[in-house]
Amino acid sequence: MDPLRLAIADDHALVREGLTRLLAGTEGIEVVAVVGDAASAAACLAEARPDVLLLDLSMPGTDGLSAIPHLREACPATRILVLSMYDEAEIAAEAIERGACGLISKASCADALVEAIRRVARGERLPVGPLLSPREREVLSLIGEGLGGDRIAARLGLSEKTVAHHRERLMEKLDIHTQAGLVAYARRSGLCRAD
Amino acid sequence: MGTIRVVLGDDHTLVRQGLKALLESASIRVERESGDGRDLVRAVRAVRPDIAVVDVSMPLLNGLEATRRIRQISPETRVLILSMYPDPGYVTRARRLGAKGYVLKDEAPAQLIEAVKAVAAGGEYFTLAAAPAQENPLTPREREVLQLVAEGKKNAEIAEVMMRSLHTVRNHRARLMRKLGAHNAADLVQAAEALGLVRLAPPREVDDGA
Repeated sequence: MDPLRLAIADDHALVREGLTRLLAGTEGIEVVAVVGDAASAAACLAEARPDVLLLDLSMPGTDGLSAIPHLREACPATRILVLSMYDEAEIAAEAIERGACGLISKASCADALVEAIRRVARGERLPVGPLLSPREREVLSLIGEGLGGDRIAARLGLSEKTVAHHRERLMEKLDIHTQAGLVAYARRSGLCRAD
Repeated sequence: MGTIRVVLGDDHTLVRQGLKALLESASIRVERESGDGRDLVRAVRAVRPDIAVVDVSMPLLNGLEATRRIRQISPETRVLILSMYPDPGYVTRARRLGAKGYVLKDEAPAQLIEAVKAVAAGGEYFTLAAAPAQENPLTPREREVLQLVAEGKKNAEIAEVMMRSLHTVRNHRARLMRKLGAHNAADLVQAAEALGLVRLAPPREVDDGA
């Protein structure tokens, strides 16, 4: 069986080199191209037509997520596996909405990465963690901006009791148990408006 | 000089495993790896490597604070900082804390190898000019508490991680809130981010299509 042809896009040279070496020894996977930004990734896809593109989300100068539709267009046959510093379900869901097949965090180990690459190559969509309801997202975003329960209630036209209930549900779903933890999660997931 | 022995600290497992593969390809031996700053310090104490390659942003104890500890518990170990961010302020602090090198993740792999070899031979390897020293209002303990708060830990958990009493943790927390002018958790998280104690994604531009 032909080896799986993989392209890697990450803006940090050390990370590119490290990933390439990690995957070089892996049976059935061939690294055919390595690029350092989204523009080169598009050109590379059109030319090399890899089976899978491992795409780092945090490349500067591009919102990694918005690059995905362009990359899909450059080579529709290539499956995109997004590589992220975080694995918040919101980000994974958005990546998939824009055309990726899944997201894997940099905190994963090499074996998990190889497994994810193989699954995505087979046409699978990787599972996403527990998603928040629209109301829960609203409450979380306001928590992230530093609003207390009373101001959130006023802003959203809810009772304080209801807001407290949503906050409890958020903590359960996200397995986060402090206010600061919720704030950090909100900011990481891009739920808060730019300052 | 015999084989250079390294302990490697980075919380991104994939990145860490990749760095290990890279170092070993240059016959540098990675004896231990760690995913957080406290475990890194323990690993250094256990194996006393020639070099500790330390990512700046690690959970539980960031790379700069870990450098301070490493210099105390294993003075023969030389510290090389690895960072995603070209921040001259970090470089200054790294130098002051006793690090012998500072390399960006954006630089060519060959630089890292060169840096490890240079530092192991007794030299320095700084890729950025150091900025003039800046005022830092928080004490090392206060910075530790702030990092753990921003990581979502409760006071009881912080006390356990730091091996201090709950009372002490509360005092540190109260003092750092006063110093930072912080009124709530969001202020603390923002301060932690600004001080580079935690790494959070930058707030996105509001997307009209969303």
